[in-house]
Formats: sequence, structure tokens, C-alpha cells
Amino acid sequence: MLPEALPEISDTDLEQFFQILLTQYGYDFRGYAPASLKRRLGTVLRRYGLADMQTLNQRLLSQSDYFERFINEITVSTTELFRDPSSWAALRAQAMPPLLSLSQLRIWHAGCSTGEEVLSMAILLHEMGLYSRSQIFATDIDGYSLEQAQKATYPLRYKALYEQNLQAALPGVSLSSYAKEVGGQLVFSPSLLSNVRFLRHNLVMDAAFGQFELVLCRNVLIYFTPSLQDRVVTKLVDSLVTGGVLMIGTKESLFWCTAAKRLLPINDGERLYRKRQ
Amino acid sequence: MKTNLPFLWIVGGSAGSFTPVRHFVQQVPHRESLAIVLCLHRMRSPRLGMVEALGKTQGWRVMEPDDKTSIEGGAMYIAPADYHILVEGGGYFSLSVDEPVHFSRPSIDVLLESVVRAHWPRAGAALLSGANRDGAFGLYLMHQAGYFTAVQEPTDAEIPTMPQAALTLFEPQVRFKASQLVQVCLQALSL
Repeated sequence: MLPEALPEISDTDLEQFFQILLTQYGYDFRGYAPASLKRRLGTVLRRYGLADMQTLNQRLLSQSDYFERFINEITVSTTELFRDPSSWAALRAQAMPPLLSLSQLRIWHAGCSTGEEVLSMAILLHEMGLYSRSQIFATDIDGYSLEQAQKATYPLRYKALYEQNLQAALPGVSLSSYAKEVGGQLVFSPSLLSNVRFLRHNLVMDAAFGQFELVLCRNVLIYFTPSLQDRVVTKLVDSLVTGGVLMIGTKESLFWCTAAKRLLPINDGERLYRKRQ
Repeated sequence: MKTNLPFLWIVGGSAGSFTPVRHFVQQVPHRESLAIVLCLHRMRSPRLGMVEALGKTQGWRVMEPDDKTSIEGGAMYIAPADYHILVEGGGYFSLSVDEPVHFSRPSIDVLLESVVRAHWPRAGAALLSGANRDGAFGLYLMHQAGYFTAVQEPTDAEIPTMPQAALTLFEPQVRFKASQLVQVCLQALSL
């Protein structure tokens, strides 16, 4: 018996939850890592004052307009401009050079959340003189996050962190070249998004949709079980052209993924890989 | 649930806990039946260097686990900076970048709650000095679920807020002084 303060989430409740999401909404959560999924579900129950999982399941069954809000609660994860600056520095110095001569650079940012790393990529491309020949497809499972990403507007309290990350990733580049304070918020230049298309895409359920020179999927795989990670990584690698670059989160690992053998490390510590010939 | 999972001993701490944790890391005798997780509030950067800073152990394998790293006996795991760390019933860690809890990522509460949710067969946890309430509720959950819990005596803690927060929720099996942490860990393992 779990303590009173911790809403119990039984396997039966979870199975019903999976079935509702799959059959009523077409979302498959069965491959999500249980620990963080249960924690998020517990948070949703507390936040909405729901007594237990049966109540949540009932609400999902009967109120389809609740679903969008629920997906936002259950999937959104925090991100930031140039999170892990050394990874971005390595991307520029070690992974990008072979791509410089291409006439077109197609980039898939899978699981872009609220868009901070899409802006990071756009700034990097601007600084390298590549932006005008780049096309970024930024996708996420959550509609609210995509709306936020398209606004490119963030709370001003993040400014110092973003400036610090930017300096560490791209020394000498000032945040003020790309963002300004407007009405107490940090607003990024719309020009950074002129070559970005935001699309709703479910990495678990939807097929890959193109061939890309660069695929970024950072801190998304951590929410999946090893078997789902394997399937998703296959999808990501299938989406790369030969010689294309995959960038994942710095604490994510590919070592059990079958598609890993189709990759060569560019910088394993920074989780940068190139698709083999 | 995977079988043959090791006893999981978790040490949570924040401001004022580094010296006692370092002492613990260097003194605790190696046991293949025991896996240790150190969940310490730390700066986001530098990302690396914590393993070295804690010093030489009594033969433990020490690492900052990646996502889905298997939890093995005889290993000491240090929660990586800027990720929550959770245990899975399948016998491995999951990491997450969910919102900080009590301004903390890693959060001790998140880790301890995951132990309870995973129904990890045998585990215990100790909470050390710290300047916020993170860990108090998680330790309470562990206590309620029947796991061994220990809290540093607030009078012994450099900053008593964290252990004091736990003691306002429940009375643990053991209150200890920092110098007794090794002994408390071995006591939990022997129960």
C-alpha cells in the first residue's frame, strides 16, 4: 500500500489509461519509462485535485477537450537556449564542417518542446553563414509547446542563463544580436524562424517524413523504455542521409540500439554521431 | 520486477553535506550486495569532476550514470548535474529533465518517490545537511512504505533546514551524526 500522500497508480489503472489514449486519441504511451510517467501522472492528479487514476481515466474518456491540456502536462519538459554549451560548440567545430559545402541543409529537430533549442540551432546557422540555405523542421507531440515555440518569447528571468550559455557555446556572440527585452519578456528576432516550419508529430506513432543532413533529438529518448528507444532511434537514423549528423542529449545512450551500428561517433562524450556510408 | 536486485542505499544532501558525503564515500567498505546512489544538490556546471572530487573509495565502481544504466551491486552512482534521476523496477535508472523540484535538479524527492513507486525490494535512505526542504517528503514516503530511513541530527548538520524538514513529518529509524553515516548504511544493509 502506498502512502496516503502518494496517489497509487496500479498496473490495472495504467493499462486502462494506455487503452483510452490509444483507442480514443491515437496516442501510444505504453513505451514510456514507467518511473517518470507515474510521477507525472501523480503530479497531474494533485494539480487538478483528482482523487485517483480512475477519476483521471474517466475524465479522459468523457472530456475530449481536456486531452490537449493533459498532453501538455504529461509531456512538456524543460529546455533552454544552448543547454549543454560544449555540445553545441562540438557540433559547430566537429560535426558541421563536412556539411558546409552543401547547397541545402535540411534539419529535423525532433521533440523541439518550447523551441529554445530550435533558436539555438538558428543562431548557430546564422553565425556560420548557413541559415539562408537551411530548412528546419521542428516537431513536437504537444500543441501548446509548439504554440509557445512559434512565439519565440520567454520569461526575462532566463536572460542571464541564456547569455551565459551562448557565450560558452559561441564565444563572442552577444544575445542582444538576436533577442531584445519587450514588455518584461525576452523576444527573439522573427528572422530566426523564417526558415523554420513547426509541425505536430508523434515520434512514437508517426512515420518519418523526410531525409535530413542533421537530426537533433535531445532529452526525448530518456522518457522512453529501452525497447521504444530502439524503435525511435531507428526512425531517426533512417531519416538521415549518408554522412548526416545525429545529436542526442548528453546523458542519453545508444549502446543497446540496433541502429547504433549504422552510426560512427564524431564526439561520443557530446553525443554526436555521423551516419555511416 | 527483475530479481536479484541489490540493496539500494541512497544518500541525499545539499549545502553542508559535501564533507560528510566525501568521508562516507572514502570509508564505506565495498559490498557486492549494495548499490549506493548519491543524490546531491550541485551546480549545473561543471558537468564533470564530481567523481574525482569525492576521492578514492574502498574498491567501488563509481560513475555518473547515463539514462537506462543498469543498477548493479558494488557500484556507487552519483546523480548527474541538471537531471532528475529515478529508479525503474526493471533494475535501471531513468533520467528526466522535468521541472526542478524545490529549485533542485536532481531532486532527492523525485528519486525517493521513484524507489517507492518501483517497489524496489530492499532500500534505505539517509538525509543530510541542506538549506531547503527537498528530500523530506520523499523520505517520508519511503518511511511510510516500510523502508529504512535515517536523518542527520539537525544540531550536527551544518545547515539544519533539510533534516529538520524531514523530522517535522515523521520520526525515522535512526538519527545520526555525520561521522556515523557509514555505520548507519551497514546497519540498514544488515536488517
